[in-house]
Amino acid sequence: MSSLRNAVHRREHRERSQLASRERLGLLEKHKDYVLRARDYNKKQKRLRALQLKAAFKNPDEFYFKMQSTKTKDGVHIAERNEKFSAEFLKLLKTQDKNYVNYQNSINKLKIEKLKNAMHFMEKGQEENDKYYDEETNNSNHTIFVDDDDEAKNFDAAKHFNTYPELLARKFNRPTKEIVKNAKLNVDDDVNVEKLVKSRSKNIRELLSRIEREKNLSSVQNEMDIQKALMGKGRRRKVGTDKNGLPIYKWKQERKK
Amino acid sequence: MGFADNKRGGFKGGRGGARGGRGGGRGGFGGRGGSRGGAGGRGGFKGGRGGARGGRGGPKGGRGAKGAAKVVIEPHRHEGVFIARGKEDLLVTKNLVPGESVYGEKRISVDNADGTKTEYRVWNPFRSKIAAGILGGLDNIYIKPGAKVLYLGGASGTTVSHVADIVGPTGNVYAVEFSLRVGRELINVAKKRTNVIPIIEDARYPQKYRMLVPMVDVVFADVAQPDQARIIAMNAHMFCKIGGHIVISIKASCIDSTMEPAKVFASEVKKLQSEKIKPREQLTLEPYERDHAIVVGEYRPRPKK
Repeated sequence: MSSLRNAVHRREHRERSQLASRERLGLLEKHKDYVLRARDYNKKQKRLRALQLKAAFKNPDEFYFKMQSTKTKDGVHIAERNEKFSAEFLKLLKTQDKNYVNYQNSINKLKIEKLKNAMHFMEKGQEENDKYYDEETNNSNHTIFVDDDDEAKNFDAAKHFNTYPELLARKFNRPTKEIVKNAKLNVDDDVNVEKLVKSRSKNIRELLSRIEREKNLSSVQNEMDIQKALMGKGRRRKVGTDKNGLPIYKWKQERKK
Repeated sequence: MGFADNKRGGFKGGRGGARGGRGGGRGGFGGRGGSRGGAGGRGGFKGGRGGARGGRGGPKGGRGAKGAAKVVIEPHRHEGVFIARGKEDLLVTKNLVPGESVYGEKRISVDNADGTKTEYRVWNPFRSKIAAGILGGLDNIYIKPGAKVLYLGGASGTTVSHVADIVGPTGNVYAVEFSLRVGRELINVAKKRTNVIPIIEDARYPQKYRMLVPMVDVVFADVAQPDQARIIAMNAHMFCKIGGHIVISIKASCIDSTMEPAKVFASEVKKLQSEKIKPREQLTLEPYERDHAIVVGEYRPRPKK
């Protein structure tokens, strides 16, 4: 039959584009465009019908327990937990994978560890140092045992440590008077003290910001865990509130088979 | 917040980059591990792999001391201990075996005025209680060049190696450790440092190693046992010379985890007093350790004139 079909000359009707004279009317719709539009229209109609049907058959006595614990505002469901956080926090919470946050946090923790290990002690005096100093150090407790009350009353720290009073604050090293007298520091000309001090305070700044970061990342991690757990099953009850005023939950222990 | 420090690109790029970076780090360790000798076999292998992947391993894996680092060495109050002040402020001891690390710690080599080089090893106060005590400002640790030290609880020999550095070739460290597994590493330390005598015995039975240990100047104990005061006293009675010193580290939770740390320390000091050890000073080890203290005492002090 195909040979016959080829034998009869048939005119091919091609879809044409919009005529120049009708250009003001916009793009001319082609058949494939029409198909898409019609499909979309029908889908919407079907959905509407389904919703209308659902509304018509609605059971006025319908009840779910969730209705007690949640609320809507102008028909929009309000998630209480999300209202208490900053936009930045939420962005991180909603866009990042839990594993990724964990991973970043553990990297951060390692870096903190490394920085701390490189900072054996802090000298007071510089701005950054003092910030760190107040937080982390300077809370050790040094007791010197003496023989009697008299000695305790007349205790002179500088004399006891055999050093100069101005060196007493340098807990990490209070050189004795002899050492100070005989000290020969091998300060090379190429040691740029200013530069070293600068890089040291840079390290402290980094450490401080990393500590801050750890706090934030940990709370994101924590929130992710809670939200995930809240989505799951299991009986829970509220035990107090956290510092954001959000409830702290406790899940009932369940025997796992 | 955000992930500002992830300089390796976007989300996906970050993952790949991070891998490379880690490889590099390992490379560094591997290099050091390799130089450690026998124990470094595995480290060496990993280092090779890391290096190939990360690329950062190259410069890091070299020697611990990067040429003549720009540091100022400041003598410490305690003889044999120094403070290296450079980009980082570090507690260091003079390396008894130049060119080698014991547990992967950093080394710093410094040019002397006469053209020679001295190598120092970094002593991490977060890992060693004596180091924490030194930086916390102890008046006297009595561990100094030429001293004989009985070290109870030597563990894998990390701190022991630094104590050996301090006492130098004229002193001795008798390191007692009960656990065979960590004791093996202690023995490896002693192979390189001839002034360390490893003793794999229970410190509760000092008579077992009485033939190995002479009278010592200082007994240092880091045993973390509930009956540690008794253990220390027994060893002091047996080996400490009259007027010698005791330095002990106390972990409050090991003695009594229900009591307040300060009370635990006080009760331990009481126990020591009853064993003829006169306390001289006590220092808590914040911020390096929590609820730890170092107590320094004198064994049978000579009466004051």
